[in-house]
Amino acid sequence: MTDSNGTPDSMVLERTFDAPVELVWQMWTEPEHFKAWYGPDGASIPVAEFDVRVGGTRRVCMEVDSPNGLMRMWFAGEHLEIDLPVQLVYTESMTDEDGNPVSPDGHPATTEVRVELEDAAGKTRMRLTHVGIPAGSPGAAGWTMALDKLAVHVQASVSR
Amino acid sequence: MGTAVDEDRLSETFAALANTTRRAILGRLARGAATVNELAEPFELTLPAISKHIKVLEEAGLIVRGRQAQYRPCALDAAPLREVSNWAERYRPVWEARFARMDDYLRQLQAQSKEKRTR
Repeated sequence: MTDSNGTPDSMVLERTFDAPVELVWQMWTEPEHFKAWYGPDGASIPVAEFDVRVGGTRRVCMEVDSPNGLMRMWFAGEHLEIDLPVQLVYTESMTDEDGNPVSPDGHPATTEVRVELEDAAGKTRMRLTHVGIPAGSPGAAGWTMALDKLAVHVQASVSR
Repeated sequence: MGTAVDEDRLSETFAALANTTRRAILGRLARGAATVNELAEPFELTLPAISKHIKVLEEAGLIVRGRQAQYRPCALDAAPLREVSNWAERYRPVWEARFARMDDYLRQLQAQSKEKRTR
């Protein structure tokens, strides 16, 4: 919890890119651009499909070279919020090739990614929030508040 | 960190947290210890139902229970929540590397379009 507004299950990153907001938005929403940067080093993104509208689905395949040969990982999700070209919120779950959820050890079944873009004199300030438990998940109301309270408690016990 | 045991425990923590009633119970316990009866009060649930939720939280290590006779007050144990926090932090280096690549890619892209324009 080094960043402001972080809850115990979230991670916040901020970065400024020397590019206009519209172009950074395309980095996230256009498959050809997305494929160019998203994969970790040594991985490629053979599939990226985005239906960029609220409720629209997304599907990403990551191909990693492993000692056991090429390994493919699939991710599926849904767009929760779209405010072109400044805000994109989507869920992400690990799935098999057919889109059936697989539950990796030690991870919540679904995570939420929030991208916020802001013009800064021709450059783009990007704020990324990756949340372990999506705000839009069933019964999430009050969760953030509860987490905030817990965060205080956690902090207190860390410093103990 | 990063052992199989930790991973199992983290899964258990997330499973325990994936329920509104249990999160509300934790929210209540963040204000101080309480008995099962006190915890049951705000919910329209039977004592056995509440006890079930408490058992899940206890097994996930999120609450500890006292030994005082039949009351056995519940208290929050924040340690597993710290692991949840660590979980989210695991994503940081992944995203940082991605953004470094995005930065490079944006530079290339803009250099190319500049070149086209000046040609």
